[in-house]
Order: sequence, then C-alpha cells, then structure tokens
Amino acid sequence: MLSKICKKAFTKSLWIYHCNSGACNGCDIEILNVLTPYYDVERFGMKLVASPRHADVMLISGAVTRPMLPLVKKAYAAIPEPKLVFGIGSCAIGGNCWFDTYNVTGGADKAVPVNFIVPGCPPRPEAIIYGVAVALGLANKKAAPVELKQVEFPVDMYLANKAWEERNVIYKVLND
Amino acid sequence: MWLTSKIKQVLLVLKPGVVTLKYPFEPHPVPKNFRGQPVWDHHKCIGCGGCAAHCPARTILVRDLCQDLRVMMYDGSRCTYCGRCADVCPESAITMSEQYELATNDKNDITLSMELFMLTCQRCGRCYNREKTNMIDKMGLKGFRYDNLELRAVIQKATEHFDEKMLEESDRHQRPRKIGE
Amino acid sequence: MDILYIAVNIAAFLVLAPLFEGVVRKITARVQSRQGPPVIQPYYDLLKLLGKQNLSAGNFAFTVAPMLALASILSVIAFMPLGYQANYLTRYADVITIIYLLTLGGVACLLGALSSKNTYALMGSSREMITMIMVEPVLAMTFILGAVKVKSLGIDEAVFSTAGGYGWSAVLMLAVYLMALQAFVGRQPFDIAEAEVEILEGPFIEYSGPNYALFRYYLMLKQMFYAALFVMVFIPFAKTGAYGVDVLVQLAMVFVVFIVIALIGSTNPRLRIDQAQKYYAVLIAISLVAVGLSVYGV
Repeated sequence: MLSKICKKAFTKSLWIYHCNSGACNGCDIEILNVLTPYYDVERFGMKLVASPRHADVMLISGAVTRPMLPLVKKAYAAIPEPKLVFGIGSCAIGGNCWFDTYNVTGGADKAVPVNFIVPGCPPRPEAIIYGVAVALGLANKKAAPVELKQVEFPVDMYLANKAWEERNVIYKVLND
Repeated sequence: MWLTSKIKQVLLVLKPGVVTLKYPFEPHPVPKNFRGQPVWDHHKCIGCGGCAAHCPARTILVRDLCQDLRVMMYDGSRCTYCGRCADVCPESAITMSEQYELATNDKNDITLSMELFMLTCQRCGRCYNREKTNMIDKMGLKGFRYDNLELRAVIQKATEHFDEKMLEESDRHQRPRKIGE
Repeated sequence: MDILYIAVNIAAFLVLAPLFEGVVRKITARVQSRQGPPVIQPYYDLLKLLGKQNLSAGNFAFTVAPMLALASILSVIAFMPLGYQANYLTRYADVITIIYLLTLGGVACLLGALSSKNTYALMGSSREMITMIMVEPVLAMTFILGAVKVKSLGIDEAVFSTAGGYGWSAVLMLAVYLMALQAFVGRQPFDIAEAEVEILEGPFIEYSGPNYALFRYYLMLKQMFYAALFVMVFIPFAKTGAYGVDVLVQLAMVFVVFIVIALIGSTNPRLRIDQAQKYYAVLIAISLVAVGLSVYGV
C-alpha cells in the first residue's frame, strides 16, 4: 500500500540531473531557461539536483563524444531505480551533423536507453516543457509519421498502350 | 542600511507579481520567421533531390524503387532545422512550418516519407533536357539513386540506367564499424 | 496524561515540518516572481524518495547515520515543553542534554558524509564542522541566559524564564538569536555546509532513496525545532492556560517565524566560510555581554 502511494508521488516530484555529453551548450542554455521564472518548471515539482544519486530523470544533451561515452554510462548506473532518460536536442537523438565522424558515437541511445526525445536545435523552452507534459501525461503526443503519395497506381493513361501492360505488372506487385 | 535595503527589495518584487506563462495549458505564439519542422508538398515536388544534397545532417534520403517510382524520406531525428532544404528547393515545395511541439518517445514519429511518380519519356526511359535545367546539372549524383532507408544510409553511387543489382546490393548495405561500438 | 503531551509534541512536529518547508519554498518562489511548487510538495518529495532504490556505500556507518540523526532530533522534540506544559520526560533531561543531542545530530551528518568516501562530501563535512563550532556557543548562551536568571538547569524553568521578567539581557539575546537563526536552520546567508550547488550538495552527495529521505526529514524537523525554540523562549506572552489553544497559538507564531526565515533566505547571497566566521565572532561577543548582564540581574 505504501508502495502504491510512492508510485503515485513519483510523477509529482521528479528530480532532474543534467548531463552534457559533448554538446555545444545551446541545449544546456535552453534547459536552464526552463528553470527561470518565465517558463517555470518547478511548478510541476521538478528540481535541478547536482548529484545523480538524488535524481530520477537524466537529461542528456549533446552527441556522445568518444571520451564521454564511459562517463555517461557511469552516470546512468549511478541513478537509483526507477529512472527515466530524456534526450534533448537533435544531437542526443541521432548525433546531428556529426553522426558518422571519427570522435562521435552518435546519439544518446548508443550509450543508455532513452525514454523520451525532444527534437530541436536547440529546442525551444516551450518544446522542453511540452516534452515534460507528454511524459507526465498532461498533454497528448502530436508527432506522428507522415506518408505522402503523389499518384495512385495503376495509371489509366498508360493502360491503353499494350507495351505498358508489361510494365504495369510491377505496379500490381507493389500494391500487394 | 542593510535591513532597509532588503525590505526595499521585497517591496520591489511585489510590483510584477507572478510572471510565469501558463504554457502547457494555454498555447503560446511563436515569433515571426520561426523555423519549425519542414513540411513537404507532394503536389509540387519534382523529385530532384536538391534538398537531399544540401542537408548538412544528411537526413533526407532518396531511393528509386523501380524505373518510375522515387521514394524520398525525411528522417527528423537528425534535422537541425536550418532551412537549407526550403531555400534550395526549385519548386518551393518545402516550407518550414511553425510546429515545435514534437516530443515523443519513439524516433519513428518524426519521419515523413513521400512516394513520387517520375514521368518517363516514352522512347528512352528516363531523360530530361540537360541544357535547359541548371539546378539539376549541379547535383553531384545524377541518375538513379539507391539510399538504404532502414539503416538511414546515403550511398554515394548513382547509375545512368536503372540497375537491379545495385538495388539488391544496397539492401544488404552495412555501415562501417567505428571504434568503441 | 503526560503521554498525551509527548504524543502531541511528536505528532505536531512530524506532520507539520514538511508543510512549513513547503511554505518556505513557495515564498522563495514568489519573491523570485514565479509560481513555485504547491505547498504540499515536500510530502511528495519524501514519499517519492522512500520508493527509490537504496544504493549504499556498504559500511555500517553509512546506513546508521540518518537513523541516528532522526533519532536525536525526535528525542529533543519529545521533551520540549510545547504549549507551556512540561511532560513526563522533561525532568529527566536538562539544558545541557539538549545541547548535546543537537550536536549529536550534526555529528551524525558528518559520520554519514565521511563514510561515503567522496571528495565533495569531505569538503562539505569540513565546512559543516566549522559551522557547528560557530553556532553552538550562541545556542548555549540562549539557554544559559535563562538558567542564570532562575538559578536552575531544568528545561521548563530555563526556557520560560522570560515570563518572569523581560529585561535588557533578554532583548539583546532576542536580537542575537534572530541574527543567528539563519545559521541554525541552514538557510541562505549561511547554507555553506549543506544543500548547495557549489560543492554538489555537500555532505549528502552519495545518499539516495530512503536514507536521503531520512536526512531531509531530519533537516526539516531541525528547522521547525529552532523556530519553535524561538517562540517558546522569547514570546511567552500568550499563555491562556488551556493546552490546546496554547499549542495552536504557538504553531501560528512558528508560521510567522518561518515567513521571516523565507524572506531573509531569499534576499541574501551566500557568505563564504571566513566571512561567516567574522560575523559570528561578533555575535558570540554580544551574546556573552547579554549573559553577563543577566548575571547582574538586568
């Protein structure tokens, strides 16, 4: 019974540990912006703590560079269960422009399992608060994969020509 | 004195009151010329691949499925929202929308893929008048493209005529292994 | 009947200490023009910390230190005469025992910090030691002032000595206690030792989960105890005789003291340890003057 109360209290007081794994500091400044009076995130009960042992949520910003890779893994292991990881900015999601360079591992999910991502370069403070709200269940997810098609197959104009009938075989196979 | 200055400080703070924006519960407008997620208009796109060539994070991929079908995929996970694709598009088919509320727990949620029907010349298959078109001339890779969509890998080879062996080889493409992986 | 007084003491302190901490955080947020957490936020914090995994440094001192700190502060609370009623335990302890038990709480923090083998914890604990050494004389002088006046070391007589007659020495001691209150409580001008971002939360850096919850509870109870001590020693005026009304009036005055703590805490910068020592040297000298005056009966 006490454990149920503790689980309910978990979403109302998340303590944040901010880990910069080789970022340009743009995302770090936006994270600090979120704690200022204008976009105050402390009204949801979140606090910035300095030690990973006190924290529940780890915010990773930055493409994980080669020297930082074992350190990010150590910081993740130092956080007590239950824990969440947020990747902030496109460096933490996929490594941004440097995903295949020599010094960058490319994205935080090569180092630690990531639960939520907040895209942007850098993401606006409102976008970070929106990500927090989606994680807490206060708002619905708005992003969804989009598929656009130009023309529906088969194309009538070409059906008349017998030479194109052989080609239309490919379209039928694609439609299956 | 120290005490009066602290009392003055507390009284000064009472004037603005509470300035916190009620953001997730009320929408907040964006500034002008804000670059959010890019949006493609598939009716205007001609499938030139200019956006794919100019993207600094190589996040737009182009793959030809057969002689007439070209699939272009925008993988939003590495997008820097720089707007170069919108700048270079010859048909203005890409607009940088104002959408920034993109947080999600799945990387596949921010992808956009587009299937384009590439009209073919009835005689020779696929050609266009190279003397008259400038933008396409300047592209590095001319011809049929074989980027691997699952691994999100750009393959730097293009052939003049459609090559099915290239298509199979690109399916089996493997990324080079890096140290520490 | 006396058991009821002890139970009311402990229950009032345990239940209300996180609420007062929440009030302090809310007022700090309002001074900074932002909305701030809800007032019952520290309850959520403590409950959440109880539900986390307990990562331990492995030695016995690490697990015993938070329990020792909480036990020491609860035992001091159990025999404080809240509501002007001395209870069953009050005659078993006197003024010097209270000073020892409060120091024991600080030593438990140091024990926990030093057993975690972390450099930042070492720095935090050295600063905490200096703060404790500075602060104990002022606390001792507050009690000794009352003890000298009524010529006895028992708790209820020494604490309520100002009901007999106020005098200049008590006024001087009131000013000194107010100036030293922020260091007792561990808040803004003097929070060098614990809970600061400069050395990554000081002594408690390796604690996590339930152990950390016990330490935070200890800090909240210590805060409320010092505010209640101020009300009991220096504001003995509203004595009506009915126990319930007295307790409620004293808790309301503790709330006012907490508002003062919050306002001073949110408008002041943090002092360095040597600046704090100079400030405290002056305060100790003035408190000695106050005790000297009370010896002469002023």
